[in-house]
Amino acid sequence: MSEIPLSHILFVSTALFFIGMYGMFTRRNMITMLMSIELMLNSVNINFIAFNKYLFPGNLDGLFFTIFIITIAAAEAAVAIAIIINLYRNHKSIDVEEADALKH
Amino acid sequence: MEQFIWLIPALPLLGFLINGIGNKSVPRGMSGLVASITVLGGFILSVVLFLQLLSDPNLVIQQKLFTWMATSTMEVDFGFMVDRLSVIMLLVITGVGFLIHVYSMGYMHEEPDYARYFAYLNLFVFFMLILVLGSGYLMMFVGWEGVGLCSYLLIGFWFKNNDYNAAASKAFIMNRIGDLGFLLGMFLMLQTFGSLSYDKVISGASTMSVGTPVLTAIALLLFVGAMGKSAQLPLYTWLPDAMAGPTPVSALIHAATMVTAGIYMVVRSNVIYVLAPFASEIVLIVGILTALLAAFVGLKQTDIKKVLAYSTVSQLGLMFVALGLGAYKTALFHVVTHAFFKALLFLCSGSVIHAMGGEQDMRKMGGLKKALPITHLTFLIGTLAITGIPPFAGFFSKDEIMASAFATNGWIFALVCFCALLTAIYMFRLYFLTFHGEFRGSQHQQEHLHESPASMTTPLIVLAILSTIGGFIGMPEIMHAPHLLSRFLKPVTAMAESYTSLHVTHTFEYILLVSSVSILAIVIWFSHRKYAVQKHVPAAPQELSGFQWVLHNKFFVDEFYDAIIVRPLRMVSSLGYRWIEQGFIDGIVNGFGTVATSLSAALRYLQSGAIGFYMIAMVISFIVVFFIQMFL
Amino acid sequence: MNILIAITAVGVLAMLSEILNFRRFLYPISLFVMLVALALTGMEWSHGVRYFNDMLYMDNYAVVFTGIMVVTTLLWFMMNENFLNGNPRQADFTAIISFALGGAMVMAGFSDLIMLFLGVEILSISMYVLAASNKSEPRSNEAGFKYFLMGAFASGFLLFGIALVYGATGSFNLREISEFVSENNTDMSAIFYGGVLMIAAGLAFKVAAAPFHFWAPDVYEGSPTPFTAFMSTVVKTAAFAAFLRLFSTCFSEVSTWWSPVLAIMSALSMLVGSIMALRQTSLKRLLAWSGVANAGYMLMAVVSLNEYSDTALVLYAAAYSIASIGIFTLVSNMTNAGNEEISSLHGFSKVNRFPALVITVLMFSIAGIPPLAGFFGKYAIFAGALKDGFVWLAVVAVLSSAISVFYYLKVVVAMFQPAGREAVQLEFNPGQSLVLGLVLVLVVVLGLVPALITTLI
Repeated sequence: MSEIPLSHILFVSTALFFIGMYGMFTRRNMITMLMSIELMLNSVNINFIAFNKYLFPGNLDGLFFTIFIITIAAAEAAVAIAIIINLYRNHKSIDVEEADALKH
Repeated sequence: MEQFIWLIPALPLLGFLINGIGNKSVPRGMSGLVASITVLGGFILSVVLFLQLLSDPNLVIQQKLFTWMATSTMEVDFGFMVDRLSVIMLLVITGVGFLIHVYSMGYMHEEPDYARYFAYLNLFVFFMLILVLGSGYLMMFVGWEGVGLCSYLLIGFWFKNNDYNAAASKAFIMNRIGDLGFLLGMFLMLQTFGSLSYDKVISGASTMSVGTPVLTAIALLLFVGAMGKSAQLPLYTWLPDAMAGPTPVSALIHAATMVTAGIYMVVRSNVIYVLAPFASEIVLIVGILTALLAAFVGLKQTDIKKVLAYSTVSQLGLMFVALGLGAYKTALFHVVTHAFFKALLFLCSGSVIHAMGGEQDMRKMGGLKKALPITHLTFLIGTLAITGIPPFAGFFSKDEIMASAFATNGWIFALVCFCALLTAIYMFRLYFLTFHGEFRGSQHQQEHLHESPASMTTPLIVLAILSTIGGFIGMPEIMHAPHLLSRFLKPVTAMAESYTSLHVTHTFEYILLVSSVSILAIVIWFSHRKYAVQKHVPAAPQELSGFQWVLHNKFFVDEFYDAIIVRPLRMVSSLGYRWIEQGFIDGIVNGFGTVATSLSAALRYLQSGAIGFYMIAMVISFIVVFFIQMFL
Repeated sequence: MNILIAITAVGVLAMLSEILNFRRFLYPISLFVMLVALALTGMEWSHGVRYFNDMLYMDNYAVVFTGIMVVTTLLWFMMNENFLNGNPRQADFTAIISFALGGAMVMAGFSDLIMLFLGVEILSISMYVLAASNKSEPRSNEAGFKYFLMGAFASGFLLFGIALVYGATGSFNLREISEFVSENNTDMSAIFYGGVLMIAAGLAFKVAAAPFHFWAPDVYEGSPTPFTAFMSTVVKTAAFAAFLRLFSTCFSEVSTWWSPVLAIMSALSMLVGSIMALRQTSLKRLLAWSGVANAGYMLMAVVSLNEYSDTALVLYAAAYSIASIGIFTLVSNMTNAGNEEISSLHGFSKVNRFPALVITVLMFSIAGIPPLAGFFGKYAIFAGALKDGFVWLAVVAVLSSAISVFYYLKVVVAMFQPAGREAVQLEFNPGQSLVLGLVLVLVVVLGLVPALITTLI
């Protein structure tokens, strides 16, 4: 069984990053946008693990960084959900385009 | 003495602190007294310094305060430097400044915010002293900005009035445009010479050859700064507007000291200008254009202070002409004499306004000679001095400018002479309209006409004496007296003089003397006839038509005078005012604002409030940058 | 290190105060601990200790920036006495602000990219919460979610960039990365350069530099004013501390690669910020745009990396933070009075002479008029850019600071105008007056003797 080359994994992670970015651009629902952010962060996680495993197998820095990212992402999600609930209370909607009082 | 230089600026600063912090708790008598005494202290110290410098021709006192920034390639220090150039400025600032402080005690006595006024005035003197005492361009810039700030505060002193506020903002903003040039010039100097101190810059520049592009650039940028501060075309319109401030302020800041900072700066950097002939030519052209335009506009004004303001702009233009010709000592000479007579004229006009209960329109004055004898006499001396009648101070300095113009270029000489003629016309018009003829104000004003108190007339008398004898420090060669100022300043401008020689024959000097005096006599006669004998009063600008003007003058002589001189002059004058000042210059200034605001209207659409758009804009700009960096 | 513990301790204490019911002592305690933290910061100076296996390096650079941020937070607490005391959510706010300050300190002292990421996120997540903290106000909600979504998006960029740099160099440690870069700076792989650009984009978002500035005006305006004050001072200072630290230690060898990009960003920020500020009528939004313009100036220090760009940045950041805190004292009172329009300031100077004087001086300082602190900050930064050959950038900077005078002056003129119909009575409590006095002294003293702070580095 031959090993999957690094470039393939990088391709997947980059694709994931751009799918997340695409979601940020096109979706108007805050929950979906939150999910898009998670996609972007996960693509970074894949990157870290791939680099660590393929290029620098001697130490585990990349893995550690991944754990930090997962933790922070959880905290971000918690904050985001709180903001979304609040937004829903005020606007009766979680569409980001409903809230555009601040401009110019 | 060397270690006490810091006391000269520190004294007014102390006065500022006492009046500024004490504000209303300082007794009224005290605050004016404190302010005046601190400036007087500065004057006494300056005299001591002057005597010390007089005895030793090569003495330059340097005092380093601290290093602000130092690296391997550049060093920027804060320090004081007193040489022969700065000591002259010191004497003028503290001397004239002291007189104006004394005068202010009388002039502002009804002002409720007495202490605040003196606090600002002292702060101004402090910054002005920093400006001339600094040992480098950075320190000069600190003072430069500081005096601008104080000027802004003092113009807007009566800030209840919206108009005053607008004038203050205009002065501030126009000065900032000039400062832009100064700042860029400073950066360029720092990059070229690695230092901003005068000795390093001058020694660095003097090793370069004539016409080095970087020197021309520095000289032009510094001149842009001078254009703002010294009210030269096209940045001069703030100065007439600045007359909204109290009159002693106009005398101190907008006539005697601050506006001459630009000239001081050019004299200080004379080595750079000598090595940048192109920049000097620009200085010359701007100077002569300003001098002429302001003189034309001055012909038409009816506000007593506005006439003097335009006259200041015009005289400053003449100083720049001298600078452009390379006659640095002459320019400084004119700065000194101008400080005397223009401060005198402004203070006299203040005395008139005081007596008239705040009225500034000359059409409502007239015949004040009897009610205000001291003011009348001193104003007459000031007028004679500014128009250049011997032996008053203005004659000698103006004569020197004319002589250097003649030595260089006949056209410039003709224009300078013409400008001097215009000066005589508007000044005598002002003088006769105000002090001769019949009183044209209200009954109420007439009853209250009174000579000003002694605190106001004493400075007038002192300044009148100075305007009379002040010119003797620089007598032309034909008088067989030593040119004291020129001798004194020799070490400062030695390098510049090796490049330019401005000598005229003795015959020419005699011709100049006789012809200028006779032309002036004719102008005086005409003005006297028109404004004092025939009691002609200029109409308000809008109701005035050329035909009425002709009707007003019943004699053939006057019609002739009118057709040949007055009407063309008036046309040029209104042309200057309406087209150049209002149309062109305000147009540029406003245009800058319009462009900026319409640009911001366009940018507003980008800030749409929609988050999706924000993110796309961020990513697109990132991708653009990425592609440019990666593939180009 | 003790500073970090002390500051986090305030946060924990604040949360405990809710449980153990000593909320009324919380305000004095937080002031006291800030003073202690300041003293502890002073004790760290010139020791240069590396903590946690070289994760944090408290060199003088970090110490001075920490000092600026602690002082700013102390002033922030003093100015918000009325807002905090008696507020049912006082404990929450105190805790979150303390944690945010902790994050900011980590950003100033990191010596490992993991710590950079942690610092950025601790600070940002705290600020997301605070921006949205006024739950009943739709504008605050809007500010919160905009900040969150865009901030998280930018964090994605930052992380992706870190991943690429890690892939190219094999380490997160700043020293190891910089050794690696200086050994191989001729043949770095393409992913390294991509990574540097992505990190630059992520950090540019945090400092609100154009074209990554879109969030700033909206978020600044919508957030409750005390937190806007915190954002425009501590958050901005911390982000720049991190920006300069990372780029000067790790990427200085490849500066030809990224400095043109940052120079363009800097010029854009200055122009967009100044031009947009021209037409703002709300003081709070005007300050937001002026923040964008100031980000441009500070970015110049990063663009022109040389031996004194850190001195210049410290001076500028200190002058900017101090002046902003003072001006926001005014804005928070305007918010309380329910009108943030500049025109509502008419007649202000008649009633409040001292605050009007201080605000005028602060506006002059921030506009760069000597001899105040702001001028010397600007001067140092401009001179640095020129020395490095970015003449065009310095010209743009001088031009933009000339424009900026127009709008700073607008505020000053408004204060000194006679009162109109919509004049609002503003009251400054003793704490705020004290803040104004301190700020005035600092601005003048730093202007006269900038060496007080520049010799510390």
